[in-house]
Amino acid sequence: MRPGEALELASDAWREIRAHPMRSLLTLSGIVFGAASLVSMASLATGLREMAYADLRAIGFPRSYALRDFGPRSDAVTATERRHTGLRIADLEALRAVRGVASVHGRAFAGEQLVVGPRDRRSVPVEGADAGYLELRNLRIVSGRTITPVDVMHVARVAVIGEEMRRDLFGTTDPIGRRIRIDGVGFTVVGVVAPMPIGFIPADFSWVARRIYIPYTFVSRYRLGEGRVSQIIVTAREDAEFASVMQAGSALVRQRHGGVEDFNLRNEAADLLSDYAMADGILGGWNGVMFAIAGVTLVVGGIGLFSVLLISVRERVREIGIRKALGASDGDIMQLFLAESLTLAVIGSVAGVGGGVALIMITKLIGASFGKDFVIPLSVPGIGFAIAFALGVGIVFGWYPARKAAKLDPIQAMGGV
Amino acid sequence: MLLAAAALTKTYRLGRVDVPALRGVDLTVQRGEFIAITGPSGSGKSTLMHILGCLDTPTSGSYRIDGEDVGTLRGKDLARVRNRKVGFVFQTFNLMPRLTVEENVALPLKYRGGMARPERRKRALALLERLGLSDRVGHRPDELSGGQRQRVAIARALVGEPAILMADEPTGNLDSKAGANVLDTFDELHRMGHTIILVTHDPNVAARAERIVHISDGVVV
Repeated sequence: MRPGEALELASDAWREIRAHPMRSLLTLSGIVFGAASLVSMASLATGLREMAYADLRAIGFPRSYALRDFGPRSDAVTATERRHTGLRIADLEALRAVRGVASVHGRAFAGEQLVVGPRDRRSVPVEGADAGYLELRNLRIVSGRTITPVDVMHVARVAVIGEEMRRDLFGTTDPIGRRIRIDGVGFTVVGVVAPMPIGFIPADFSWVARRIYIPYTFVSRYRLGEGRVSQIIVTAREDAEFASVMQAGSALVRQRHGGVEDFNLRNEAADLLSDYAMADGILGGWNGVMFAIAGVTLVVGGIGLFSVLLISVRERVREIGIRKALGASDGDIMQLFLAESLTLAVIGSVAGVGGGVALIMITKLIGASFGKDFVIPLSVPGIGFAIAFALGVGIVFGWYPARKAAKLDPIQAMGGV
Repeated sequence: MLLAAAALTKTYRLGRVDVPALRGVDLTVQRGEFIAITGPSGSGKSTLMHILGCLDTPTSGSYRIDGEDVGTLRGKDLARVRNRKVGFVFQTFNLMPRLTVEENVALPLKYRGGMARPERRKRALALLERLGLSDRVGHRPDELSGGQRQRVAIARALVGEPAILMADEPTGNLDSKAGANVLDTFDELHRMGHTIILVTHDPNVAARAERIVHISDGVVV
């Protein structure tokens, strides 16, 4: 078929469609909704995937690993176990010199401590940390300041409290500069931290809001003793160097401990990646479900198209007979109705894609009004698929009515002439 | 010999009963002839016209147009013969209500394939001018009188320069004045050399033809 003929078929079909605008509009709506839901679902799916990935990056420690203290153990049985010395601040300092290391952070767990504030007293998990660690944990200072390197160096009695603890211990009064007692020792509250909201999960949900952070050197000196720390977090400068940094770091510490492996390694980057893979798998499944639902919508639209075309054929029986008497072949009649079906499908899918894009924009606007930034990139494969699927629906559901029209007997169609 | 039909039969099956509509019709038409086929309703004249016009196929017998055996053609080939060899004029005009006069007239050329729109338009306009309808080209059929509509239908039948012009009760839906006008048009076309087959039950209309073929009970009498 020459382009001119195709264009003529399309313009004839358009004339037919315009001849009954209400009916055509109703038919179109099915296709429009189908295509719109396909586009928006595909885009939403892509967006959810990207948001999930961003969330995981936000929770996790990219390029970081933890050395976790393993001993000395009171229940030590073997000779090796008896030689466990545990992780020390000196190990932490030594790790700074490893090639490719970006930063080293100490963590020292004091466990649940009785904390007395002006409003209330309660048992709270107290953790020794530093500024870099809080940052890695995605904790944001909402008022005051963080635990500075100077605090760490001077074993300052300062505390950064979680948002929820602030409510419990201080009520509505400003806690900055106020004193609290942790296990009988006086501390000055210098800051309040809150976790960044993680995607749709409210910030309060996180346990990090229910903790109190003090310099790890304090916990090390007065609680654990002997300069010991619970964990050492090491971050690498480059992704490519991560494996070697991890290897070199653990080798160094093992060597410093006389070849005894009294710690274990937790590759948090790998944990993150496996979490991501799992989330991706779940989202992939959901994508499939969402696509199927959107596809069903489009098929339902196709059924609407089918019935309207059958009505159109019935209405135009006489016209078909006349056209055949004038020399139209079965193929010509078939083209006539397939052109109508395809034209409806094209208009419907284009309008549907437009509608889908509009839907995404509206979702983004609604999200923005709630202060959430929805990342919903337009899914180009989704758009392509929606249009291709709509055209397929147009052909498949147009075929039977078109064939029915083509097979009409001209004499009967004209009403016995 | 333009048309040559020999021993044409047509039998319709109605349920389990065979109903013969044509029972052996022989008919030849020379180029340039103007013949009328008459007969009472149910005589088989419509069936004969359908077969002669390639809208239907005979059950048996042979039928040739211009030497080509068209009685055995089916589907696409039959559509091609209808398009090129036959022009139809119907009692109820059978114009496309949504198309303009000009588009109606040009319609058969569309099914010929390979003819560009401007060429189809040119031919349609030329024919409408010949039939005195130049001032109506942009109108829709429902804006025309019955006589005008039938002349548009005649123009549409002639646009493909067919070998035969077939008219089925062309004056049946017209008042006497418009009917006379249409019959004058047929006379004029006959004078110009067109071959015309007119099917009618009206003896006064049939009388305008050179030759009258009377059908009764499925045979020529």
